[in-house]
Amino acid sequence: MKSRSLIIVAGTTALVLALIGCSGTGGGTSPGSQKLEFQTGQAVDSTILTSLKSLTKKFEAENAGVSIDLRPSTSSYESDMKVRLGSGDVPDIWWTHGWSLLRYSKFLTPLQDEPWAKDFNPALAPAMKNSKGQFFAFPVDTDVAGIIYNKDVLDAAGVDPSTLTSWEAFTAAAGKIAANGVTPIVVSGKDNGPAGNLADWIASGAYTKPQLAALKDGTFADGPYTKVLDLIAQWKKSSFFNPDYVSATSQDMARALGTGKAAFIFSQNNTTSQALTFNPKAHLAYMPVPSLTDGTPYLIGGEMNAFGISKTTANLAVAKKYIAYLAQPANASKLAKAAGSIPGLTTVKPDLGELQGSYDSVVKPGRFPLVPYFDRVYLPNGMWNTMVTTADSVVSGGKPNVAQGVSTMSKDFGRLRTQNK
Amino acid sequence: MTQAPTMATRRAAAGRVARRTDRLSARRGGLVNLLYLPALILFAVFTLYPLVSGVGYSFTDWDGYSPTRALVGLDNYVRLFQDDTFRAVLLNTFVYGIGSTLVQQAFGLALALALNRPMRGRSGARAIIYLPVLVSPVIMGTMYYLLFQFNSGAFNDIVVFFGGERVAWLNQPAAAVGIIVAVNALQFVGISMIIYLAGLQSIPVTYLEAAMLDGAGSVKRFIHIIVPLLQPAFATSIVLNLIGGLKLFDVIKVMTNGGPGYSTHSVSSLIGVTYFESQSAGYASAMGIILFIIIAIFTLALNAALNRRRLEQQ
Repeated sequence: MKSRSLIIVAGTTALVLALIGCSGTGGGTSPGSQKLEFQTGQAVDSTILTSLKSLTKKFEAENAGVSIDLRPSTSSYESDMKVRLGSGDVPDIWWTHGWSLLRYSKFLTPLQDEPWAKDFNPALAPAMKNSKGQFFAFPVDTDVAGIIYNKDVLDAAGVDPSTLTSWEAFTAAAGKIAANGVTPIVVSGKDNGPAGNLADWIASGAYTKPQLAALKDGTFADGPYTKVLDLIAQWKKSSFFNPDYVSATSQDMARALGTGKAAFIFSQNNTTSQALTFNPKAHLAYMPVPSLTDGTPYLIGGEMNAFGISKTTANLAVAKKYIAYLAQPANASKLAKAAGSIPGLTTVKPDLGELQGSYDSVVKPGRFPLVPYFDRVYLPNGMWNTMVTTADSVVSGGKPNVAQGVSTMSKDFGRLRTQNK
Repeated sequence: MTQAPTMATRRAAAGRVARRTDRLSARRGGLVNLLYLPALILFAVFTLYPLVSGVGYSFTDWDGYSPTRALVGLDNYVRLFQDDTFRAVLLNTFVYGIGSTLVQQAFGLALALALNRPMRGRSGARAIIYLPVLVSPVIMGTMYYLLFQFNSGAFNDIVVFFGGERVAWLNQPAAAVGIIVAVNALQFVGISMIIYLAGLQSIPVTYLEAAMLDGAGSVKRFIHIIVPLLQPAFATSIVLNLIGGLKLFDVIKVMTNGGPGYSTHSVSSLIGVTYFESQSAGYASAMGIILFIIIAIFTLALNAALNRRRLEQQ
């Protein structure tokens, strides 16, 4: 009797463990139904996810038997996706966060032959299309970024943003703002990214065209990157950064900008909507980035919110139908409005809220060139973290210093290029 | 009339009983062994397999998600020993491991000695000191992050209240490393205290009373009776705390995220960054293997030294 009990206990335990181990996350589907997993990459309370939910509900109502499981993001979305891809547990659709071409294209279905593809915003081509003209994600919006500023702070310091066309002028303006008792540039050291943005924004204009071509061919020139980090070091020396840099979060950055405790932020435009939650009356705008080379200020653009379809999905036809539904002008318009950015399709009219003025004066006239994100186009995949940590050290005044930071960039550039071949 | 069993009959009967018992034991043993199976499966899937595959990845240039990877031999290990960042981070790891262990032993033993005496509120005090052990290190780190924050941190509010300037506590690498050591030590000091309390309570009172009668003061009793008899407790507490300190990850992640630069990273937190953000899973795996070897060497060496000392004293 005892022996039988032992066998039952051991067998049941093993069975339970096996069931736990084998259980997937997708759940079962009834015959004839199709369930798709969509990793949206959006926070649970984000406006994009809210719009996606309402559009998806309508799509499901129009397509009996189809169910789209919209998964909100975690704080470790990129790592989660890498684990999913590395283990072969690939979702049907996912948010590509600027990396549809360079990181994810080998896992994604090309979409250039879809009916809506003719409306693809050509400004996105350098970042999203490969040499064969293929692109791999439906672009909700087009990221156009400059240096965001609080107009009230600049007015109070007597700074006219339209005159800040060189880094010398920008640095002099930062000095005036600091003298007025306000932090000129706010950066978060706690979150992994804002310090890297600082270097990324400046680096886009630090290399000449031949140097950029050389970067693409695998030669990293130290000189221009030294100028990038030197400029940041100069600002650090002048105490232009927030004193709480190491412990500040991205939310602290938005709060400082919105409440007028800081003047400039080097960030994507979605930071403004967060800043406005702290002070809805703040006047925020963005300006082109001064250049370190030919003196022409520029805007930085590329892929922001885009959704790609797995090339191994068993539900390819439905996934394409769903993306086509999202790409319909009325639906794409809702999504672009929720993103607060310039639409990714030419059929959608921009609605940018507080930043509409900047769009009308800075982007629409086409006076300033739109350059791609430096790291995404000119650096090998995986360099972002090196960029962040080397810039982070300069902002915090620690190690590695400028020379060591440039050397680290150069070494990682060579190593990652070899690894990515 | 029953005939008395002969010696041979008794031997034969005893042999039969023994064989039957052996068979039963073997059968039962086999069944009991089945109960190990779930634990063995868990160990194999969640410890052994990752360890073996980690060793495999450490010889490749895998980026962590691509379906392809190339063998690079010992390149990742060679790179480790030439990497200034890794050397600095390894040094931090030793500071976290050894620093936390020393602080925890000193405070844990002091608290155990204090709370081993009869006093009012003793149980409550023990519970309060042990309580942080039950809290997740992420929560503990977040609480201290909020205390040390520049703009709204409690410590800076106190400084400002007394007329001082706000201090960027976490901006200086050495200060930030010290704060992380202190937070980790304060969280787990309860474990050391409990281990030493158990050790103190196992010391026969007669030894201490005899020493008192012989005129030994409290310091002499502590050095010559308590410390030698606490050797097993020292071994357990030091090894546990050292392993925890060398693996430190969560507190760093939430307090400084390894910054400024790489200056507060431990090897564990650097592995996460290297694996996922730098997309160098092969290199990160090599770091993991080296950390595993370091912890194993430390633990075995320390255990051997403490055991040798205990045997010498016996």
